[in-house]
Amino acid sequence: MSRQYNPAVVAYRNMDIENMPVEKETKETGLLARKTSMTGNGTLDYSSPAVRAAMQMQVIRRHRDEINATD
Amino acid sequence: MQLTNEPNFDAPIPGMALTAELGGRPWQSPAQYTTVDEVIEYYMSRMTSEEFMVQLVDIMESGIPVTVLANTIQMSSVMDGIHSVDTGMLVLPVLIEMMMLLGDSAGIKYNSGLDDPNKGMTRDSLLAKVASKYKSKLEDVDIEEVREEMQDEEEPDVQYNGLMARRK
Repeated sequence: MSRQYNPAVVAYRNMDIENMPVEKETKETGLLARKTSMTGNGTLDYSSPAVRAAMQMQVIRRHRDEINATD
Repeated sequence: MQLTNEPNFDAPIPGMALTAELGGRPWQSPAQYTTVDEVIEYYMSRMTSEEFMVQLVDIMESGIPVTVLANTIQMSSVMDGIHSVDTGMLVLPVLIEMMMLLGDSAGIKYNSGLDDPNKGMTRDSLLAKVASKYKSKLEDVDIEEVREEMQDEEEPDVQYNGLMARRK
């Protein structure tokens, strides 16, 4: 199969998991504490299938990096 | 491939793909797994089996690109009605990453298929373009004129004035 007709290359390259926004942990507690919205700027929309796939990919990438670092 | 003038009857007839009853093929019925999470879980459970890992490592070691393998696996699952094309496309990067993880953990050298093999190479079309340009330039040049110019250049009128200069 020619490389040009393989969608896997494009799909992999478009998955920019290294520059994904990082969720910040809020320390505020209590009823009046500010809550982070799911669709706010700089946050991830976990309902999006692409984000869910990217999260899984990120975990696998971390494992890969660990393996390659120890070699 | 040998080319013959005889007709080949060992091929599907036009419209043969439409002869099966609608919904009779696996890909025409609703997919078994519909969400990305379900599909990833399905592949992870398959990929972590020892049988699959051994086979995959052997294939990767033989030089087949990981991207091609991932696409083939994904496509065959679509044909089997396990998931849709859409979820297959979304899962593709995860499959590639997982395969590369298996390759790295096995300590083999594999071809990821992500690097362009033609990168840095000169295109044939570019070479042909340069050649045709050069050819058209050559046609415009008067060869006799060039020859005369070259002869003039070959015989420089240099005079040596030093003590050791050869006398004429």
